[in-house]
Amino acid sequence: MRDDPIANVLDDLMRLDEIYACIVARRNMISVMPSSESFKPEVNQIWDVIKRAMDDVFTVIGEYSGAGLTEMEFRLQDYEVLFYVFPEMENALVAIVPALANKGLLEVEMENARRQILKIMDNPVQKPTSQKTTDEVYVTA
Amino acid sequence: MISTIETAIGMSRKWEAREAGREVAETAIKNLSRPPDFFLLFATIHYEKYGGFQEFLNGVWDVLPKDTPLVGGTVTGFMNNYGCFSRGASALAVSNPSMDVAVGVGKNTKRNPRRAAKQCAEMIQNGLKDSLYKNKFLLNFISGPVMPSIPGVGQKKYIRSGFVSKFAMQALGLSQALVQKGLGREDEIFEKTVQQLPDYHMILGTSMDDYKGMKNYQFYNEKLLTNAVVNLGIATDLDLGVHTTHGMKPTDLHFTITKLGAQNHAICEINNKPAVPEFLRLLNWPEGFLTEETMLHTILYYPISLRRQGREVPVVTPLIMKDAIFVPCIIDDGEVSILTVSGKDLILAVKENLHHFDNIQPEFGLFSACITILQTLGHKTNMIQEELHSYFKDKSFLLFYSAGEGTYSKEKDITYANMSFNTAVFGNQK
Repeated sequence: MRDDPIANVLDDLMRLDEIYACIVARRNMISVMPSSESFKPEVNQIWDVIKRAMDDVFTVIGEYSGAGLTEMEFRLQDYEVLFYVFPEMENALVAIVPALANKGLLEVEMENARRQILKIMDNPVQKPTSQKTTDEVYVTA
Repeated sequence: MISTIETAIGMSRKWEAREAGREVAETAIKNLSRPPDFFLLFATIHYEKYGGFQEFLNGVWDVLPKDTPLVGGTVTGFMNNYGCFSRGASALAVSNPSMDVAVGVGKNTKRNPRRAAKQCAEMIQNGLKDSLYKNKFLLNFISGPVMPSIPGVGQKKYIRSGFVSKFAMQALGLSQALVQKGLGREDEIFEKTVQQLPDYHMILGTSMDDYKGMKNYQFYNEKLLTNAVVNLGIATDLDLGVHTTHGMKPTDLHFTITKLGAQNHAICEINNKPAVPEFLRLLNWPEGFLTEETMLHTILYYPISLRRQGREVPVVTPLIMKDAIFVPCIIDDGEVSILTVSGKDLILAVKENLHHFDNIQPEFGLFSACITILQTLGHKTNMIQEELHSYFKDKSFLLFYSAGEGTYSKEKDITYANMSFNTAVFGNQK
């Protein structure tokens, strides 16, 4: 998993203070986890209930992503879970953030991550062999 | 007309400060055939944790030709030809044989803003005094607010306790003078700068962190500074203009400020009543409606159109202390009104702003915009980037997010506003 460019994108997100956890997932399945960064400890105590709620949200995403659903979010206790849906797919980039996070700033980087992941999905040839870092992908975009 | 001007946008998304510094310089100057005449540099606060800003600057100077005039600082986010970002670094490098450049610096902005402004403006005045170019521009970039942490309360947007509010209001002035924590006082610096350099077109921006208001840094050539103002002065034969739009609309809700406090930074009474309950009554919001959390989603959309020396000053309420509404700039009392704004209005304000420059064939552009726009629009700020991209096409542009911004020109005077979009476009008249 270390060379998975999507995992590298998630690693970048995890370095932001207010992202407690992020994954690429679909209903009942986590597709990609960060490769080197672990979830922040704040999430551990609430992970089970968040995971169950997420699966219910993915039912809605599966139903409406084809109709143009692009984002969803829910608040559970002191956390918010953001879903950035990949167009026409049942997959989403998911992040757990604190309820009073500077969400506008996080949204900008969530969107950048979604775009990077989409680019990687569209050009799978880049995936295991490319020597480019995700940083370089952006600079030359 | 063959353009001899060369511009480039530098960009780095690397995490390590030194590497990011090198990359932001490399990516800019590799697109120039000559050394840049100036280098405007902005970075988000993240590098503080990944090597620090001195290392970041060292990285830039590993690559940038010696003696290139450089100014900039930390910002909440930025957008350029490549996209919108709330993490990373970006630069605008310009090389133009028909241009003179000077940079300036003034220190201790929170303690003595007018002296810092004067010192900084004089450096520009001296640096460009022999220039033969008639069009003059100034970027006035100032250390933004650093909120003091109140013992037992921390850094809050809404302080409910009357006792703590009273203490905080009195302590703020002391904190400004002693430890330089408090408001940015950018409005005072900008006014003084305009007084010193009345013939310049100016754009005002402030240095910030990631919206927390804990710290910010300014860059002046090789130096890393805090509580400083840095200026970039340009004299050029390019046509240029500055313009501010904000998209805020008047409502029919008017009130009279009857008592000000904290050196005219706090609205203590409205219509001879305590300000906050009266403000809530006017908006038909229930008592207790405003909390630390709801402030982010409500009050940002109801800015207040205040007055300062006869000018309209639309501002967002950044801080409430018990019954007093704190504002980021010095204001006058008298009759004012509540405004309203939506995400759509903000996008329209950008379109309206660019429309103002329809008669200019742009070579490059520089923008300051309010961080509340970034906070409000989130990833939809990409819609602004698309507007800018469609106006500038392959020409360079760089926008940074600020906490207190504005423009000045002799024709339009000072415009200082929150939630605003401020443009400086350089090019040739069509």
